[in-house]
Amino acid sequence: MEKAMQVATSFPVWVFAIIVIGIVVFQAIIFIKLAVKTSQSVGMTRTEVKSALKVGAINAIGPAMGSMIIAISLITFLAEPITLMRSGVIGSSAIESAAASLAAGAYGTELGASDFNEQAFTTVVWTLCLGGLGWLLVIVFFTKSFGKAQNKVAMKSGRGKVNLMAVISSAAMIGVFANLASGEVMKGFTNSIVVITSAISMYIILFIANKRNLTWVKEWSLGLSILAALSVGYMMTL
Amino acid sequence: MEMGKQELIKEEIALPQGLSMDEFHEKSHFWGRLTMSMVIILSLLLPLYLSFVSGYHPGWQPIITAFVAYAAMVGYTWVIEPISYYPTLGVSGTYLSFLTGNISTMCLPAAAAAQNVIGAEPGTKKGEITASLAMGAASLVNIFILSIIIAFGSFLISLIPPSFQTSFQFIVPAIFGGVLAQFAFHKPINGIVALAVGIIINILPIVSFAKGIICIVITVVICIYLEKLKIQKEKF
Repeated sequence: MEKAMQVATSFPVWVFAIIVIGIVVFQAIIFIKLAVKTSQSVGMTRTEVKSALKVGAINAIGPAMGSMIIAISLITFLAEPITLMRSGVIGSSAIESAAASLAAGAYGTELGASDFNEQAFTTVVWTLCLGGLGWLLVIVFFTKSFGKAQNKVAMKSGRGKVNLMAVISSAAMIGVFANLASGEVMKGFTNSIVVITSAISMYIILFIANKRNLTWVKEWSLGLSILAALSVGYMMTL
Repeated sequence: MEMGKQELIKEEIALPQGLSMDEFHEKSHFWGRLTMSMVIILSLLLPLYLSFVSGYHPGWQPIITAFVAYAAMVGYTWVIEPISYYPTLGVSGTYLSFLTGNISTMCLPAAAAAQNVIGAEPGTKKGEITASLAMGAASLVNIFILSIIIAFGSFLISLIPPSFQTSFQFIVPAIFGGVLAQFAFHKPINGIVALAVGIIINILPIVSFAKGIICIVITVVICIYLEKLKIQKEKF
């Protein structure tokens, strides 16, 4: 275990992890810059641009905190660099920790066991890195084709008809979250109550924000809903 | 006031180097592919380095065994997730969110919230730019918080009482419920239809990986139908 940890925190592994995270940061900055440059041609004001950035930043706080506990448990087994690299790219910490224990099992040991050696650690790294490649390869090779398909749909929905792309996009989004929320509802009573509390809180918050025209309340709406639902969940597990 | 507004508009028109939507897409493809290819190469180099430079190669058999198990667990999402999220994420959003991860828990909610605040519909040009801005900012904040967790995580966790730590498991269901309600707010019928579809699909014995895509397809079909009905009513 100690030897594996020495490898896991060795200088080259840190370098790989920091470069990967650096690329993620670089990409985010590039896309923000591109979007800001494009904003005028789609009719966005500067206030709207600032608001979009602010809302995005606010809404990352809750989810990032959510993966905290899993990330920390990953640190104890795989050390900091790999946790940073794998949680910062693609994988959710939850999938990565499941995959890490899978890989340790395939080598014939367990995460955190005394016989978790350098080879076992290498098996875990191989599995996590190869596993993440699936999404990246599909995106690199096929996103352009998706774009062409989208343009065709957009061409079809000419003037006077339904804006097909807008309907499909928002309906697809509702479908995604309806399925995810239903999945949570099926997990049990407490989870159902949490989902419902959050949904009702969101409705009330948006209702008030729209009526009084309070933009900042809208910006914090998801964060506030999560807090309300967490409090209810907390009280139910006491 | 009126003068100020006019001046502001003039200033915005005068700003140099604005990009058109097509140019934006072109540049997004370029930078998106470049950054993701770099991560792909690094993801191969690190395990190769550990195996053959450091000399800790475990043999191919455990690697293949573990990889096949991983692929069986999430492999279907490699294809299904990019396709089903694309209409919502758009070109730039797809590159952004699949590199930074946490798509359903962070990127999509952040994009949706920003579109809601600004009043831009998903699938429109304005909606896509709004989503890119929001997801870019979300990605940066996520990395920032992750870095803090990496640096001080164990210490931070020790500050939170254990009884409260257990309620962290409710963050994910809370996100899903809240985001769904956010959409149902403007299109209540669509939200109710989608939730009904979702619950039926989750009750029926359908393989778990097919549930997401089936729910999306059925919801999209019903919503298009509802929208067409509405337009026909307006005509008469």
